[in-house]
Amino acid sequence: MNFFDRMQALDRRYIYLVVALAIIIPLLIPFNSRTDTTEPTENVYKMIDSFGNNPDKAILLCVSHDASTMAELFPMEVSILRHCFERNVKVLTICFSPPSAPLVDYAINTAKEDFPHIKSGEHYCNFGYKPYGLFLPILLGMGEDIAEAVETDAEGRKIANLKIMENIKNYDDMNLVIDFSAAATVFSWITYARVKFGANVAAGVTAVMAADNYPYLQSGQLIGMLAGLKGAAEYEKLVDVFASQQKDFSKEIIRGERVPITGDHKTYGTNIPMKFKKARIGMNAQSVAHIMMIVFIVLGNIGYFVTRKKKKLD
Amino acid sequence: MSFEAISNLVAAFLTLCIFSFLYKDNPFYKFAEHLLVGVSMGYAIPLLYENAFIPFVYRPVFFENKFFLIIPAVMGILYIFRFTKNLSWLSRYPIVFTMGIVGMSVPMSMHSSVLVQMRNAMIPLDNINSILIFVGTMTILMYFFFSKQHKGVYGKVTNIGIWFMMIGFGASFGYTVMARISLLIGRIQFLLGDWLGLIK
Repeated sequence: MNFFDRMQALDRRYIYLVVALAIIIPLLIPFNSRTDTTEPTENVYKMIDSFGNNPDKAILLCVSHDASTMAELFPMEVSILRHCFERNVKVLTICFSPPSAPLVDYAINTAKEDFPHIKSGEHYCNFGYKPYGLFLPILLGMGEDIAEAVETDAEGRKIANLKIMENIKNYDDMNLVIDFSAAATVFSWITYARVKFGANVAAGVTAVMAADNYPYLQSGQLIGMLAGLKGAAEYEKLVDVFASQQKDFSKEIIRGERVPITGDHKTYGTNIPMKFKKARIGMNAQSVAHIMMIVFIVLGNIGYFVTRKKKKLD
Repeated sequence: MSFEAISNLVAAFLTLCIFSFLYKDNPFYKFAEHLLVGVSMGYAIPLLYENAFIPFVYRPVFFENKFFLIIPAVMGILYIFRFTKNLSWLSRYPIVFTMGIVGMSVPMSMHSSVLVQMRNAMIPLDNINSILIFVGTMTILMYFFFSKQHKGVYGKVTNIGIWFMMIGFGASFGYTVMARISLLIGRIQFLLGDWLGLIK
């Protein structure tokens, strides 16, 4: 039995072991891999940034996933919340599935730890969990009057009485909806909020869903998209380079900027909080795992053709 | 031991129970799997009761005398008859009602998924991306035209459509692999970072 025969008959558990090592080692020994930002991510960043220090504008984050896809979507949520808190953008959150409710709280609490001045009802408001049966009435109702459609927030307060809702009435003011989803819920926002009310819609999706969303991105129905862990890593970098240092977005700067995740950082020195670099550290492991898989696919194919040729000769 | 340390320990144990399936099926995996289903349901039922039944049925009907809400509530209850043999037909009424609501989305879906997409496929062919989108759209549409045999020149054109689809499936598959690896990374980050504190 030659090398390729052995590869063909390899127990799958050895492959699992190699995959595990390909992920564990880069996580334990982090390195500064390159994170190039893409236009769909930059567009989301730029639109949120344009709402900075504007009390007449707000964004809505709709969390539509459970803990199983937290690895990809949670770093996006934390980064966007951090961006909003850095730039003083009013941020509203809502969810329509029971498992999403604690994740919204967790994301807000994680992001606001570093912003002691940020207050609920003033800088952000969590509308909380609303039953899925109310998804359509709320989505359409927010086109007329948000306070009437949602009524109360997660803490049971009347939304109409909250300071954050001053000058925020409907999609004209809350003019960006970002849906974080592992399913196709973003299409509902496009179909109703975008088509009927002209709201800007963006998506933070798992990589599995990304390919389905590209046609909507190409047609401009999605103003931007964060795709999987890569999208989260890109957004982390954008917040680090611009928002955390109160700088405006610049394509020239982001192209040349290498943001270290292990070395010196302009704001946090050598001790960048894990929550602000989780996706980028994850992308280190992702890169190694992808290289390993490419090697496996190439070896597997060579093995297949060599074995087939040998069989023909026999 | 703090609450966070205990919760991390429980989460780490359950994660390892699920990962043990990679070696082979075993009672630890089954235990964690069943626990997940039970906890999910146990969590969702009281949350729905608190956030849906109490504010939208109980309180309006009993305290605000909005008795008309009994009609949709009864209609919702009809879903339960799905589980009976003789009266399962009753569950069709709420389904029909729901389908009617879905029908409401048809014109808007038509706009966002067909008309706007078509409009953006009819842009001037002034750059390589527009040309690729045009060629891809046309050849794939031709591939799905089955009233003509895929032979000769027409067959060659539809073959280009197959290539475009294969590239699309490849991109989808690549993204799927990336997503699955990301989930594994998330769990290992939890085990090594949050639980063992080895990631700095």
